[in-house]
Parts: sequence; C-alpha cells; structure tokens
Amino acid sequence: MSEVFGAWAPLVPLLFVAVAGLLLMAVDAFVKERAELALGTSLILALGAALAIALWEQSATPEESELLGHWIANDRLALFIDIVVCAGASLAALLAGGYLREHRLERGEFYVILVFSAFGAMVLGRATDVLTLFIALETLSLGAYGMVAFRRQSPRAAEGAIKYFLLGSFASAILLFGSALIYGATGHTDFVGIAATIESGSADLRLAILALALLLVGLGFKISAVPFHMWTPDAYEGAVTPATAFMAVVVKASVFGVLLRVLFVAFGDEMLASGTAGWPPALAALAAATMVVGNLAAIVQKSVKRMLAYSSIAHAGYIMVGVTAAAVGTEAGQWNEEALASVLYYLMAYTASNVLAFGSLIAAGSYGKEATTYDDLAGLGRRHPWIALPFALGVLSLMGFPPTTGFFAKYYVLEAAVLAGGGMVWLAVLGVITSAIGAYYYLRVIVFLYMKQPEPGAPVAVPMRSFYVGAALVLSGYFVLRMGIAPGAYLEMAIEAARQIG
Amino acid sequence: MSSAVLVVAFVVACLAVLYARREHLPFGSRVGGGVAVIVTFAALGWRLYGDYAGTHLLSTLLAIPMLGALVILFMPRQWVDGIRATSIVFMLVELLVSTWLLDADYSMAARGGADAAPAAYLFVEDGAWIPAFGIRYQLGIDGISLWMVLLTTLMTPISLYVSWSSVSTKIKEYAVAFLLLEVGMVGAFVATDLFLFYVFWELMLVPMYLIIGIWGGKDRIYAAIKFFLYTMAGSLLMLVAILYVASAYHRQAGGEWSFALADLLRLSFPLEEQLLLLCAFSLAFAIKVPMFPFHTWLPDAHVQAPTGGSVILAAVLLKLGGYGFLRFALPLFPQAWHFGLESRSFGSFIAVLAVIGIVYGALCAWVQRDVKKLVAYSSVSHLGFVMLGIASANASGVSGAVLQMVAHGISTGALFILVGVIYDRRHTRDLADFGGLAKVMPWYAVIFVIVTMSSVGLPGTNGFIGEFMILAGTFASDDLGAWQTMFVFVAATGVILAAVYMLHAVLKMFWGPLDQKENLALADLNHREVIVLVPLVVAVFWMGLFPRTLLDSIEPSVERVLVEYRADWNRGFSSEVTLEPRPEPPAAPADPAAEEGDGADAAGAPAADGAGAPAAAGGGGR
Repeated sequence: MSEVFGAWAPLVPLLFVAVAGLLLMAVDAFVKERAELALGTSLILALGAALAIALWEQSATPEESELLGHWIANDRLALFIDIVVCAGASLAALLAGGYLREHRLERGEFYVILVFSAFGAMVLGRATDVLTLFIALETLSLGAYGMVAFRRQSPRAAEGAIKYFLLGSFASAILLFGSALIYGATGHTDFVGIAATIESGSADLRLAILALALLLVGLGFKISAVPFHMWTPDAYEGAVTPATAFMAVVVKASVFGVLLRVLFVAFGDEMLASGTAGWPPALAALAAATMVVGNLAAIVQKSVKRMLAYSSIAHAGYIMVGVTAAAVGTEAGQWNEEALASVLYYLMAYTASNVLAFGSLIAAGSYGKEATTYDDLAGLGRRHPWIALPFALGVLSLMGFPPTTGFFAKYYVLEAAVLAGGGMVWLAVLGVITSAIGAYYYLRVIVFLYMKQPEPGAPVAVPMRSFYVGAALVLSGYFVLRMGIAPGAYLEMAIEAARQIG
Repeated sequence: MSSAVLVVAFVVACLAVLYARREHLPFGSRVGGGVAVIVTFAALGWRLYGDYAGTHLLSTLLAIPMLGALVILFMPRQWVDGIRATSIVFMLVELLVSTWLLDADYSMAARGGADAAPAAYLFVEDGAWIPAFGIRYQLGIDGISLWMVLLTTLMTPISLYVSWSSVSTKIKEYAVAFLLLEVGMVGAFVATDLFLFYVFWELMLVPMYLIIGIWGGKDRIYAAIKFFLYTMAGSLLMLVAILYVASAYHRQAGGEWSFALADLLRLSFPLEEQLLLLCAFSLAFAIKVPMFPFHTWLPDAHVQAPTGGSVILAAVLLKLGGYGFLRFALPLFPQAWHFGLESRSFGSFIAVLAVIGIVYGALCAWVQRDVKKLVAYSSVSHLGFVMLGIASANASGVSGAVLQMVAHGISTGALFILVGVIYDRRHTRDLADFGGLAKVMPWYAVIFVIVTMSSVGLPGTNGFIGEFMILAGTFASDDLGAWQTMFVFVAATGVILAAVYMLHAVLKMFWGPLDQKENLALADLNHREVIVLVPLVVAVFWMGLFPRTLLDSIEPSVERVLVEYRADWNRGFSSEVTLEPRPEPPAAPADPAAEEGDGADAAGAPAADGAGAPAAAGGGGR
C-alpha cells in the first residue's frame, strides 16, 4: 500500500471510511430500496478494520510522521483503536439492519451517521493534539446524539438524547476550557510539546494540573466514569438498541485510546504521573467509585437495558484499574506495557461481549414487543434456545467467567494491578469483590432465560428473525470464545500496540 | 482384532438393545446389551486412539465427556431414550478408561530408590497454552487425586442414571450439564497448573448452578444464586492470591511467568504475606468444603437440587475444598500454616472451625424434620472430620482425611439417592410422614440401614477407617498445640451424635407402626435403583474391609506432601520473597519407565514421565 499512497498509507483506513461514508450518503439519496444499506455499512467498516490489520506490519518512518505533523499519530495504537472501533461499529450496523427494519425505523440517515461517528472515533484514537482531540470528539459525539434521538416519537428517546446532549456539551466545554488552560500553561497544544514543556520546568504547573483535571473530567464523562455517569442509563435506555451498543463499544474504546495518549504522553511527567501525588491516585479513586457504584446500581435495575448501561459503567471502572496500574510502580516514560496492553485487550473483549449481549436483547424482541425487562426474557431458553444461548454466553463473558474472553480481559487487568503492587493490590481486591457482586445481576439474566416461565397471560416478547442480527451474534460469539480459549494472537496485538506508548 | 470387526460388533450391540426395548424383553437382556454396547464402543475407541490415550490418559479423560456433550448437543431433543443412553454410555466409558489409572504404581519406594528424586505426579502432560502469560496445560495425578478422579467417574454416571426417574423435562440440557460438570471436576482434580485449575474450578460452577436452578425444587432460584455467589466470591479472591503468587514468581525469576505448581512451590514469602495469601486460598476452599461459618449455602443447595444434583454435589464437588487445601493451600504456604498467628498455627484455627462444624452440623441434623436437610447437615459434620484431619498435618490424619473424603462421597451419595427414592414415591421428605416402612419396602430398609451404618462409622464399613485415622492423627499431631486432646474429645462426641441423629431418622422412618395409609402401597426398589445402589454398597464394604487398596497409593503421596511441608517450615523465616533454584532433573537412566523395562516409551519426551506403565498395559492388550 505504501507504493500507492506513500506517506499517507497509515491514514488509509481513515480516508477509506470517510470517502465510503460520503458515497453511502449519495447512495442513500438515490436508491429507493434502502434495504441493503446495513450490509453496505457493515462491509465498509469491516473493510476499514481489514485495512488497519493489513497496515499492522508497516511501521511509520520518520518522514511520514513529519508529514503528518503533530496532529495525528500513525502508530500501532491508532491502528488498534481503528480495528476495535471499526469492528464494533460494523457489528452495530448489522444489529441496526435487523432492528431498524423490524421496528419500522429504517431510514438511511442512521447508517450515514453511524459511519461518520465511527470516523470521528477513529480520528480520536489518533489524536495527538488537544485540538484534534476536541474536533474528533465532537464528530463522534454529534453522531451519537443523533443516534440516541433516532426514535423521534418516543418521549424516552427524547429525554435520553436531551440529557446526553446537554451534559455532553457541558463536558465538551470543560474539555475545551482545559485545552485552553494547557495552552496557556505550556504554549503548546500537541501532546509531545506539552510534555516537553512540563518536563523542562518552564510551564505553569498549577495551571497545568488544573487543565489536567478538566481534561480528565471531560473524558471521564465520555467513558461514563462515576461521578460523571448520570446521563448513561437514560441515554442507553432511550436510544434504539443498536445505537446503545454503538455507544457502549465504539465511544468507550476510542475515548480510552485517547485517554491513554493524554495521560501517558502529554501528562507523563515524573511528578504528575507519580504513584503517590499525581493523577494515578485520582484515577484510582475514580476507578474504585466507578466499580462500586456501577455494580451496586445495576443490581436494582428492572430493565435489562438499564442494567447493561450500569454494567458498562462498571466495566469502565475495571478498565481504569488497568490504566492506573500502568503508571504505578514504574519510572516515568517506562510505563508498564503489560498494564497498557491489558487495557487495550479489555476494550477488544468488551466490544465482543457487549455486542453479543445487546444483539441477543435485540433478537429477543420484535415490533411492538420489544424485550426490555427481565420478565420479557422469561422462558426464552425453552422457546428459543438459539437466542438464549448467545445471551447467556454474553452475560457470562461480561461477568468474567472462563473460558470466555471477558474472563481473560478481567484477569489480565487484575494481573497488571497485582503486579504493580502496593495499593493497587487492594484496588484489585475491590475489583474482585465488585465483580462478585456483579455476578448477581448477570446471573439474573440466566435465571430468567432458563429457570423462569412467563406469567400466565403476561404479554411475551416475540423474538424477531433477522439474518443481520444472526450474523452479528455468530460473529461476536465466535470472538468471545476464540479470544477466551486461545487469546494468544490477540494478546500479541494488544502488547504490540501498547508498546507505542510504553 | 481389526477395527472393522469392532464396528460391526458395536452396531450389532446397538441394534440388539433397540430390539430388546421394542420387544420389551426382560430387563436383564437390556442390561447385557447395554454392557455389550459400552464394551465394543470402548474397544473401538481404544483400537483407534489407543496410542494417543496411552500417553495422554488424562487428556482422554477430559475429552470423553466433552465429546459426549457435543454429541448430545446435536441429537434431536425429542429422542429422549437416545439422549439418556448416549450420556450414560459416555460416562461409563469414562469410568472404564479411568480404571487404567490404577495400573500405575503410586508408591514412592518403587520409583527410583532413595537417592533419586521421585516424580511427584504420574501421567504428566505438559504443553504451552497461553505462552504470553506462561500458562501451561499441565496435568498430572498422584495418589490423592487418583481416588478423587475415580470417585468422580464413578459417581457421575450414578447420579445421572438415578435422575431419570425424577427429571423429565429438558433431558438434553440435563445430560449436557452433567457431562460438562464431569469435565470440570476431573479437570480440577488433575490440573497441576494453578491457572488451569482455576479455569476448571470455575467451569464446574455453571452446570451445577443450572442443575439446581432449572431442575430444582420450589426455592431453587434462591438456592442456585446463593450457591453461585458464595463460591464465586471465594474463588475470585483466590484468583487474586494466585496472581499475587505468580507475579512474585515473575519478579524473582527475571520476567518469566509461570503458574505451574511445581514452580510456585519454590517461592517462599514473608510470614505476614503468607498469612494473607493463605487466608484468600482458605476462604475459597472453606466455602467449597463447606466449613462452619461458610456452610449456609449447603443446606439450601442440597434441599433444592434434584436428586442427581445433590448426589454429585455431596459426593464430588464438596471434595474439591478439602483437595484444594491439601494440594494448594498447605504446600504453598507452609510457614503460615505451621506458625500462623500469635504462635497458634493456622491449622489450629482450621481445627477449631472443623470441630465446631462437626458438633454444630450434628446438632442441626438432629433437629431436622426434612430427611434431605438432615443428610445435608450430616455432610457439614462429616466434612468437619476431613478438615480436622488436614489440619492435623500428620500422615495418619491427612491420609484419613483423604480416605474419609472418598468414604463420605460414597455413603452420602448413597443416602441422597435413598432419600430421592422415597421422595419420588411419596413427594414428601418429612420424617413425620413415614413410619414402619420396613414392612412395605424391606430391601429399601436393608440398604438404608447399611448406608446409615457406614455414615455413622461402624467398624467394617468405610466410615470407620477414615474417622479413626483422623482422630488418631489429631491425637499425635505436632501442629495443633495444647488443645489437640480437646479437639479429639469434641470430635469423638461428633461420632456419637452421628449415631444419634442417623438412628433417630432410621427409627422414625422404618420402625414403629405403619400408620399412614399412603405408605401402605409403596413399591420397593426397582431395577434402576438397585443397579445404582449395589455398586455403592459394595464400595462401602470394600473400603471398610480392605482399606489398604486405597491407602497403598494415598499414603506415599500424603507422605511426600508432608515431608515437603516440614522441610519448608523448618527452613527459617525470610523477610522478603525468595526463590529456590530449580532442582536438578534426575539423571536420564533414572527414568522409571526405562527401569521397568518398557523400552518403547523411555525414549519419549521427558514430560511424558511416568506414562510408561499404562502405555505398557495398553500395548499388551493390542
């Protein structure tokens, strides 16, 4: 590819998705029969992921980096985020193909929004400058707002979208303010420049710390870390379910990607990233709060979708444990690669398991009889074993049960935390206790699937039949098992990507 | 014999069984046909995969039930008879294959003399699973796990077969759950890599959870979730402890990961760290045993589970707790175990809880009206003995504990089956609803009394030997401090209490007037129940009269564990984590396979150490 595209080769996935998205818009306008848009979208994004994989072995030369300036990175971490984002978005598009048609919502805009939002996510994974970061984040978020509000007539969707939009704009403003402050403190907007200025001691440190805190708040909102998580359950519940899956996997993956860059590249200073006084203790506290609140709140939910929303909050907490572990017990600049890799692997595992869970939830309902509560799932194991089985597999993976990928991901994060030693061991113990609590609400899904029968006379959710949803379930189910039984190749990939900042 | 002949024989046997069923031929002919099916199937398997199985016997034991689960998954759910027969055939083949484990020589003396380091495990298999983490697929078996595996392969078909009278819905899922459960149980007993052990340990949880939750009684969901959460909470803490140990190894060994037990045993931790780690491991195992304050899930789970589930839970799953203590907790943290807290050994804390459990379980059992709950509480009491034996940390006590685990598995399994028999007929388990049953169900009464005697620990039955050895061992223990006589005294009252509550139950059920009219027409044991109970009764007497069959292989392995344990705690304290160098591998001629004159396997990979003997047995047959 480098012969044709030259120095631009690392950007090929990005450009491909952008151009294909524009074409998709044109196709949508001219073609009356919109049926296969979902397939097209899914293929576009899958190709994006494939391109990223194809470029994996190609390391960026210094000239290429020069050409791209300090705006955008072209390293393996970026490609890794591309792969996760594209794969997640591709599966979400498949889910949408089944869901939207079933629920008479089939309109081409959704797919176009989805592709551009995914484009924003890919840029975000590459952002090495606060300005790129902001623009990419807005591209990503605006799409997400649109998707949440997609079911216009539903008051619930409107409520969720308004909440998401208002709070999201607020968070963006905070992020922008943080960016302004960091420019004021260091005179740089690019991460490397910021780091260099802080290290040379010429930066206004108090201002920089304030900026760091604001950036952390802004990004913490997007990954729904407690206490910035208030919007999550409402937005997740109100959104059409494929959009929920998209938010849970794509948004989270890309924001975590850029969070790693911000924390370890821009603020990786010896003092700011010290295990006792810098951001790691703050992040550890956020992680602890997120794990506890996410898991406890999920227990009392009556809607499965809300439960999954809180579970996604809890998972953000586990991922943050990994992020913190990378900075503890290490020298500045010599980050714990294993811990960084554990974060990346978790993102991948979480994507597969979450698509499986949301996909099964989608498959369990049909028009006018959408499955949302636990009661809707009662007896599904008997009536429709081929929907109950992936659902059970999905929640087992989210629970972190061997031999699914969720177990490995959680295990890897815990391993990183225990290896970091010191206070991190207790954070790992807290993670373990909260996952035991979490087992309760995941088990409830299995209880309703296999052990309960619907109340006589109660309206039952009738599962839908859709090739798209089936395909998404098979694909994500394959990855959940494949990455759980033989995770070797995927781990290698995560480790190689982590090496870029490690 | 060529494979073609075997294929034909297998098909003929299958057709014969189907014919016997259709024509309603006498029961005996169907059993004969079934045996023929199993034998030809096993012979065929041996013919085709014998070479592989000879060197990978433990993998074969894991593969058979897994294969069975896959086969059943693709069978039509309406073909109930086929599913039942297939699952039982796979389990019986598993049982048959597992008896090959007995061919090996488990005594240390026969293995290389005094100076050569004896191999701790036989049938060792070793391969990389996830190289990035140093996680290995490492299996091995010694005299302790041998009997646990055999107990598993014996009790699983029995518990599945006995279920067919009471479980009538979702047969397919039920059979698959049992087969997967067997994979998990066997795997947990043969894994010698801590990570692999953990995976199998967790793998057992889901099938058992489903068995209780789907086919259980009225409050089954509550019981199932309680069971799951208790076990999971304990085992997750154990996971952190495993990680802590492995990461210490990682640091000491210069960046090399390993979860292999043999590697991790070379670490020694400062005392405080050992104590915390030991607590984490002990919690997981104590919940599983279950020991006194963590036992509350057990009565719920037992009462709600279907008969087959209760049998397998009592017979095998609970044994994993004691096995875990013996295999992992005690050898990994010997100093914490011996010196413990404030100059009291950790073992003595365990012993206190064990003794409380013995008496408390017995008293609870005494006041139960529900027979199943009574048996469940008697388990708490009996397993208190097991834990007391392990806490004593001397040869007699620990060997007794292992023996008692097997004995408890057989007699309590049989008791749960017997309770299930009466429940199927009367749909009640309340003692007040029975009385005088010996008149209408004489054979049932005979077997019930025999099993009761074994549970009480009458000499000549299997319960006696284990309990006696445990009490003797506790008396002679060096680990329990000044209170050991007290422990023996209180534990011995547990034996008396066991007689009280069991005989009380027998009295209420079988003697007295036959005053309930529902009881007048109760049928005695049917074929299925007899088939299931006879092997257990035989085992009760065999273990009681010839305990050396088991002890010959148990004692050397226990001795090895204890020798290492004593050497470890005598070594002196270290204030930081240290790692012993890897022991030199024994010189090549000391390979036991070579000494036994089995030239074929001596040239094999060093990892296949000890696989020589069974391969020779297999080779002889061909």
